[in-house]
Amino acid sequence: MTRTGRHSETADSVLRWADKTPEAPALWWKGTTTSYRELADATADARARLDEHVPAGATVAVLDDKSPGTVATALACLATGRPALLPSPTLPPDQVTAVMAEAHCAYALAGTAITVTAPAHGGGAVPPGTALVLTTSGSTGIPKAVPLPHRAVDAFTDWAADAFGIAESTPVLNYAPLNFDLCLLDVWTTLAHGGQVVLVDPSTAASGRGLLRLLRTHRIEVVQAVPLCYALVGAQARVEGGGPLGSVRHAAFTGDVMPEQALADLAELMPGARLHNIYGCTETNDSLIHEVDRSLTQSAPMPLGRPLPGVRLRLRDPDGRVLNGPGSGELEVSTPFQSTGYADPSRAAEKFVLEAAADGGPGTWWFRTGDLVARDTDGALRLIGRLDHQVKIRGVAVNTGEVEQVLLEHPEVLEAGVTTVPDPVEGRRLIAVVRLEDCSTVTSLDLKRHCTARLARGWVPGLLMPVTEPLPRTGTGKVDRRMIAQTVAAPAATAS
Amino acid sequence: MSNADQISEYIVREFLPDLTPSQLPPDLDLLADGAIDSLGVLKMIAWVEHHFRLAVGDTDLDPENFRSVNAIDAYVARSQSTAATGG
Repeated sequence: MTRTGRHSETADSVLRWADKTPEAPALWWKGTTTSYRELADATADARARLDEHVPAGATVAVLDDKSPGTVATALACLATGRPALLPSPTLPPDQVTAVMAEAHCAYALAGTAITVTAPAHGGGAVPPGTALVLTTSGSTGIPKAVPLPHRAVDAFTDWAADAFGIAESTPVLNYAPLNFDLCLLDVWTTLAHGGQVVLVDPSTAASGRGLLRLLRTHRIEVVQAVPLCYALVGAQARVEGGGPLGSVRHAAFTGDVMPEQALADLAELMPGARLHNIYGCTETNDSLIHEVDRSLTQSAPMPLGRPLPGVRLRLRDPDGRVLNGPGSGELEVSTPFQSTGYADPSRAAEKFVLEAAADGGPGTWWFRTGDLVARDTDGALRLIGRLDHQVKIRGVAVNTGEVEQVLLEHPEVLEAGVTTVPDPVEGRRLIAVVRLEDCSTVTSLDLKRHCTARLARGWVPGLLMPVTEPLPRTGTGKVDRRMIAQTVAAPAATAS
Repeated sequence: MSNADQISEYIVREFLPDLTPSQLPPDLDLLADGAIDSLGVLKMIAWVEHHFRLAVGDTDLDPENFRSVNAIDAYVARSQSTAATGG
């Protein structure tokens, strides 16, 4: 086996476990295990294919769905210094093409086949030292290519292993698809430290029963997932019984607002777990962490918590001034784990801001998160919503994220998407699509009552549609409001 | 179908499409419970005028007249009897 040791500390750490504990399980997938030796062998095979077809340093799009083989491919890219572009498997082909073009990526790998598209550009659009190229959700247009340098990945895996006690043989659940930054923790940190990654196959991701079974069977110790995963597991556990999951030491939720019911279920189901609310963006990775105090009843919204080591943050008010003290404004962060900036410099310029250092040093790159955050007099931070979720309904400024949050507070609501659709009378009408638990009998009237009791009148959606099927989600797992608006627009228009 | 049934049927179709008319309590406070917002009330008044062939005068635009299915039903009955007696 040949190793370079030059590119990725993380990849080298993973491959070293093939010598230390060759027969220990590295990955579990659909009931089968891949040992560290098998993972290293598969990586060597992938590496041989790359060396044959792809020049050194060239970016490779990895188009396969999550599997041990895909992990090996990504590992081969990391180990050989070829940036691995990981588009969401749910992205339509033309968007994959667009993201590849943006990252100047001419090589696509699917299964064992490597296809070469004519390189449209001379130079590489991602800087040297890039480990992974993730993609943003694409909820606002074509997804952006987000290059993450090796130093960011290595710094992150060091922090996460320490923070969550991930060590040799620790079983960790991986819920997210490989293109999510969450995998830096579940997959890459776990493998770099000799743990066991239990991969959730996309076919199981929407099944509370399947997820609960994985948690029990593998005696999972660390879980990190979007709130939806916990909502599904919690609802299933209430139906199924079967006792608590005593093995879980850490349960982290991120990427969305944690519904109160899901949090209550989680606390009961995982009595020994420390519960964490993690804030981060694809561009910066985890930035803030809040540990839930189990002795207190939580009132939504949950605080964002404290910055991770090395993370800096600031709030900027609507006039562009940095806020000191209490108030609300756009959150800007600078983290040791962040991207070098979007592959497309014109798109990067809007979001990544360089602050020159006073001493003429390298300065600080700040990322404008687009999140509206309030700081109270104690310095505690709370997420108000997305700045781009501010809409106007008949002159009233409404934040659709806050309306979603209120809907999610209803105990039988699993998912909520709020957006606007054109209306001949109202101009724009506020609408909500709400996914209820399977056996729920809640009606739109119940939900309107629920909203009316908690929101200003203009914020109550005019049309509320309860459904039982999962809501459409974007490539990074956010509720897809555009898709919801499209599907609702037709019936709403005829009803008007 | 009674007037009350027609009113329930309209409200459900227009504002609460996942309900059946029987799930709408006739004494439900439509405004306070958020079933209908203020613009919705105007929409509904326009429907009442058209459907029951009434002219809702400015003095009748009291939200109390349109607060529940029962209230609308009573208002329609009052207006129709006034019209029938030529008042």
